[in-house]
Amino acid sequence: MFFLSEIEHTLRLPPHLLGLTKEKALRQELENLFLDKVIANLGLCVSVYDVRRVTGGFIFPGDGSPTYTVECRLVMFRPFVGEILDAKLKEYNKDGLRLSMGFFDDIYVPFHLLPYPSQFAPDPEDGNHFRWVWEFGSENGEATGTPYPIDEIGETIRLRVHSISYPPIPLEQPKDAKPFAPMVITGSLDSEGLGPISWW
Amino acid sequence: MKMKNANAGGLTNVEILNSFQSRGASMEVAVTIAPSEYKVFEYFIGTAAAHQTTESIYVLMDRLKNHDLAKAELLSIINHRPTLPVWVYSSCDERLGEGGARELVSVIKGAPKAVRRAGQKGAERHAPGRALGRT
Repeated sequence: MFFLSEIEHTLRLPPHLLGLTKEKALRQELENLFLDKVIANLGLCVSVYDVRRVTGGFIFPGDGSPTYTVECRLVMFRPFVGEILDAKLKEYNKDGLRLSMGFFDDIYVPFHLLPYPSQFAPDPEDGNHFRWVWEFGSENGEATGTPYPIDEIGETIRLRVHSISYPPIPLEQPKDAKPFAPMVITGSLDSEGLGPISWW
Repeated sequence: MKMKNANAGGLTNVEILNSFQSRGASMEVAVTIAPSEYKVFEYFIGTAAAHQTTESIYVLMDRLKNHDLAKAELLSIINHRPTLPVWVYSSCDERLGEGGARELVSVIKGAPKAVRRAGQKGAERHAPGRALGRT
C-alpha cells in the first residue's frame, strides 16, 4: 500500500522560514510542495519520511532566498494491482459504488465488478430508494438466492484493486462536472472474502 | 525534481504509524502533523496496525518464514492480520488450498498481538526496510 520513494529536488527556501532551523524549514517547504499531491505513476504523497542529504545553500544574485538541493524519502500511497484494501462506503448509484479511505476518496467499484449476480433493486421498505443487492446462490440472474444488500454508508468493505489510472489534467471542464481526480483506483468485489466485512 | 529511486521499499502500516507518533501525533493531539497526514493516522487507528509494534511484526515474520510467501502477500498479511481462512484466500493466492489457509490463520492467531502502551511513542524507529529484510 505504502512505498518509499527517494527523490532529489532543488528548492528555494522562502525568507519567512529562515527563522526556523534548517531541518525544520526544509521539511516544511517539502511538505508544502509534495504533501497530499499525486505524482503520476508514483501515487499520492502521504508524508515526508526523512531528509537524507542537504547540499547547496547558495543565494543567487537578485534573490532573497537560499537554494538547496535536498535528497529525501517520501511515503507514497500506491496500491498494486491485486492488493486488498479496506475502505468505507461513501455513496452508490446505478453505476456502482464509491468508497473512501479517509485520506483518499476516489475508489470506484463499477457494477460489472460487483459479486455476480448483483442487482440495483429497490428497498423493500422504501420503494423509491434503490440499492445494490448480491443474490447469493441464485442462478441465471433469478431472484431466488439469499439477498445480501450493500447499502450502509460508512460500512467497511474489503476490495481487490483491479486497476489504477492517472487521468491527464483536463484543459476544460464543464461547470457542474465532478472535481478532477488525478488518481483513480478501480476495485473489484468479485471474489471470496471480498465485500462488506459483515458478510464474512 | 529528480527521481532517484521510485521504489525504495515497501512500508508496513506500523512503520508509518510509528513515524507519525514519533512526531507527537496521537488521538488527542493532531497539530504536530499535517491534516492530510492525520487522516492517514486516523485510518491506521481503525486497522490492525494500532495494536502492533515492530517487535510483534518480527515475531510474526519469523513464524511465517517457512510458508514460502511472496513479499506482497507477507505485507498484506501483516497489514490486515486475517483471522479467517477466507480472508487468507483474498490476501494470498488460492494455491495454498484450504489446509494451508487454516494453518496460516493458526500461525497468525498464535503470534502475540502486542498492545501499544500509551507512553510508547515509537521510539524504536529502525531504518525502514529492516522489517522486510531488504538492505
